[in-house]
Amino acid sequence: MDLQITNLQKYYSGRCVLNIENQRIKKGSFLGIIGPNGAGKSTLVKIIAGLVEAGNGTVSYNGSGLNTAVQQNMTLVFQRPYLLRTTVFNNIAYPLVVRKVKRQEISDRVNSVMESLDIRSLKDQKAWTLSGGETQKVALARAIVINPSLLLLDEPTANIDPGSILVMEENIKKFHEQGNSTVIVVTHNLQQGKRLCDDIAFMHKGEIIESGSADDVFNHPKNILTEKFIAGEILI
Amino acid sequence: MAHIIEGIRDAINLLLSFDKEIYGIIGLSLYVSLASTLISGIVAIPIGIVLGIKSFPVKKAVIRLLYTMMSLPPVIVGLVVFLFISRNGLLGNLRIVYTPTAIIVAQVLLVTPIIMGTVYAGARERGEEIQNVAYTLGANRAQALILLIKELRVNIFSAIVTGYGRAISEVGAVMVVGGNIKGHTRVMTTVIAMLKNMGQYGMAIAIGIILLLISFIINSILYKLQQGD
Ligand SMILES: Nc1ncnc2c1ncn2[C@@H]1O[C@H](COP(=O)(O)OP(=O)(O)OP(=O)(O)O)[C@@H](O)[C@H]1O
Ligand SMILES: [Mg+2]
Repeated sequence: MDLQITNLQKYYSGRCVLNIENQRIKKGSFLGIIGPNGAGKSTLVKIIAGLVEAGNGTVSYNGSGLNTAVQQNMTLVFQRPYLLRTTVFNNIAYPLVVRKVKRQEISDRVNSVMESLDIRSLKDQKAWTLSGGETQKVALARAIVINPSLLLLDEPTANIDPGSILVMEENIKKFHEQGNSTVIVVTHNLQQGKRLCDDIAFMHKGEIIESGSADDVFNHPKNILTEKFIAGEILI
Repeated sequence: MAHIIEGIRDAINLLLSFDKEIYGIIGLSLYVSLASTLISGIVAIPIGIVLGIKSFPVKKAVIRLLYTMMSLPPVIVGLVVFLFISRNGLLGNLRIVYTPTAIIVAQVLLVTPIIMGTVYAGARERGEEIQNVAYTLGANRAQALILLIKELRVNIFSAIVTGYGRAISEVGAVMVVGGNIKGHTRVMTTVIAMLKNMGQYGMAIAIGIILLLISFIINSILYKLQQGD
């Protein structure tokens, strides 16, 4: 999916938390969003996902506004994923069920995504008994099972052990390479940004301070704030 | 203490006697309480969910009113219903005073706010999150609503159990609008009150035990129902 953000602003009780003039996210790109706490990263992905209304401005999806077809073609994995009060299998199957996919196909697709994320053994476990990391894996499985043309990930590996991070990253990568999907990942893990993303946008106080290829932003940052952030300094 | 032991013995004897009157009383109690819980549930569950997830101008006032209604004194509700349906009341020509229907009406008024308030609390806490998940996973409005009900089923279950408990244990309102008429509007709670006045403590305890037994069975059934997916 091709995204165009124009003059986007969001206010919370009079405070501007998001202000993006112009940002194009090309079809098939893999964008990482980095930036300090409270920069507006989650707000941005929620607006793109259609969950939060922007105060001003627009996001256009392949040139059109948000409609049912767009909604059905994108998905967001939350920073703190909510799993349904049922089994792992039913959780991953849910987006296929609402799309009225045939039973046999649902079962095949769910099993195959569980296989690749290495969570086959959790199939019949109740979602509320999962560990934090397992929960995030199931949420990722539930998102990629529908092959969205836009995948939004808000800190998808925050609670994950180092080995599993690599498994999840492999899956995200594989998913991105397979189709022509656009992937946007918010991450605090700069190494992860380097490993995964083609492009990086650095956000600070609601604005995209700098964006460009991952190599440029990480190795030759133009803005002093970007440089400081990457060096691990606290920004004021 | 002796009364309680006597009561347990009497309860067993009563249940085994298959006495028509006692089974009639049990049956009527069940009928009016289940009917009023059912009606209240149908009204209160959807409204409770909507109150929890939607915001609108006078919402705060509505919620305050709802919480007030949850703690209405039953006798007052009974009295107001009675005044409406009594011969000279506004709804007097319905001719339902001192009938099981009158009991159901009073119970619906008591139970609806309880179910609505409990469902509202659950929906307010998790409703938005559930809606967001439904939306991002591609659900349409109807599918999202079904998902909400499924996800909130534990809250809905406890709302129904609490509401039903209120209905079946109600004395004051039931006495006022039903009148404890033998073979017609006499239910377990009103008969207990009557037996107590007559000094028949053992018998009163016996019926109380049966009441508990029935509640236990009904709650077990409801619990089983909400467990399944
Ligand atoms: N519903 C809300 N009401 C009021 N303020 C909000 C709301 N949601 C977010 N904010 C504020 O908007 C700002 C941006 O929040 P956001 O969650 O987008 O930050 P973030 O970049 O994702 O941070 P983090 O790295 O901590 O996840 C924060 O200051 C936050 O307090
Ligand atoms: Mg965030």
